Amino acid sequence: MARRTSLPVTFVVPTIAILLVLSMVPTLYAIVIALQNRELSTPDYSWVWLSNFVDLFLDRRFLNAVWVSVKWEIVTVVATMVVAIGLGVLMFEVASPRLRNVYCLLFIIPVLLPRVSAAFVWKFAYHPLYGIATYPYRLVTGGLIFDPLSKPATALFAVASVDVWQWGLFFAVIVLKLLETLPPQPIEAARLDHARRWQIHAYVTLPMLKAPLISLMFVKMIESLRSFDLIYVMTRGGPGVATETLDMYAFSQGFIESGKVSYASAMAVLMMIATVITFTMLWKRVQA
Amino acid sequence: MRPGRLIGKAILALAGFLAVFPLLWTALNALKNNVDIITRAPRLVFTPTLANIGYIIGRDSVLTGLYHSVVACGSAVLIGVVLGLPAAYAVARYPNRWAGDIQFFVLSLRFLPPVAVAIPLMVIWLQVGLYDTLPALIITYSLLTISVIMWLAIPAFQSVPNEIEEAAFVDGYGAYSVFWRIALPVAARSLAGAVAFSFVLVWNEFLIALMLSSSNAKTLPIVASELSQQGMNVPWGILNASVVLLSLPPLLFLGVLSGFLNSVFRQKKT
Repeated sequence: MARRTSLPVTFVVPTIAILLVLSMVPTLYAIVIALQNRELSTPDYSWVWLSNFVDLFLDRRFLNAVWVSVKWEIVTVVATMVVAIGLGVLMFEVASPRLRNVYCLLFIIPVLLPRVSAAFVWKFAYHPLYGIATYPYRLVTGGLIFDPLSKPATALFAVASVDVWQWGLFFAVIVLKLLETLPPQPIEAARLDHARRWQIHAYVTLPMLKAPLISLMFVKMIESLRSFDLIYVMTRGGPGVATETLDMYAFSQGFIESGKVSYASAMAVLMMIATVITFTMLWKRVQA
Repeated sequence: MRPGRLIGKAILALAGFLAVFPLLWTALNALKNNVDIITRAPRLVFTPTLANIGYIIGRDSVLTGLYHSVVACGSAVLIGVVLGLPAAYAVARYPNRWAGDIQFFVLSLRFLPPVAVAIPLMVIWLQVGLYDTLPALIITYSLLTISVIMWLAIPAFQSVPNEIEEAAFVDGYGAYSVFWRIALPVAARSLAGAVAFSFVLVWNEFLIALMLSSSNAKTLPIVASELSQQGMNVPWGILNASVVLLSLPPLLFLGVLSGFLNSVFRQKKT
């Protein structure tokens, strides 16, 4: 439609200008703060340039937070994709159309919940004495106590399970819808060749869906960066620092423990650089 | 029926059960007295009480939290609609050489770690005297709503058949009235999904609200999380009731959003 009209300019320019201001001002200001030594308790500050960043790399708690964040990212993304593909294929194979609709509706519910709600629901459920999720264990072992949220070895997985509960089930619905959009001929052909059900999916349908599945994984990687709510409510980074991700550590440095806003901001800037570079590269690759 | 299919059905049924049961259990606990919650074996039979729900609804902090959430999210979504939908339409219908860059820019806003936005904004709002006010929260949330609505509305507008708009032009409509009277109504269903999604996103938002409010602009998620910080002294029933209250608004959109999902994938097929 090549028409001469002012519409593109009047519609796009104000919005993009506002978005640019709203995003660039905080971003640039984050860098400025990171080069200073601001604290919440006093209005005074001076420029310290890169010393916050130097301190960060000498800070073992920061290095731990980087490692926890990487673990969180890998565990949640892999588990979500496995659950999503597994349940999606199962629905495609064994559920009647009416049943599929019911499951689709049910599986969307967890992801709609506020993360804070989801975190509470499962914090109650994981309670060692009265929780509903630990009840089967108590029943089988005759009352032994299992407290997944307070053991360093299991805490991260317990919190991650809530994330997978929300996103894995939701993505299963999307995988099903993707499978339903495939043309039936290749599946029929494979069936005539006596391929087993799992072989059809492993060698025919899932490879055909490679591109959308990778996009889906990309979305999950971005969403996994937002782990703060779950961790804040369920463990506060504990036990010790076992679930302290970067945003949790930045928050506790900037607000709870010492009010070192500049130090927290330096951390945020490093996170920003890492995610923007990683995701820009991934995105270009997905698009190509 | 082969055993494989039976196992498959069992796994699916279990997953469906796991999807809703924890939430139903929470809702049930909201109706219980504390004695019925703090039990070794879960109790299904109990005398229900409305005391928890009454307590939650009667509490000032919860009511103001609810009010703040509604105002902040409502205004941010409104701004997102006013600014995001026209821009999305222009990008979808009048693509120029920047269209790809604009789309990537809008998406890249989602890569920004929330802490990286919240910390500097807190300092900025403190300096201009807007810290802990609703306008500060609304402006911050607008960044979220505008970008999400734009991102989802671009494909929605692209899926409106070009011929309808061409016909309207032939009938003498201007570019703006084509947008108002043709594109918007035709794409309305998908757009409603996009708007609902952006609402759920800001309603559920926690980190930014936590950092940008200390007492006067607390939203419902913050109030709910504070209730729990009082430890186990707070009767669990009350906590459960507040979780239920917080979760209800997003669930109201369940129908709209699942319809949105269906329409997105139906378009892909054709």
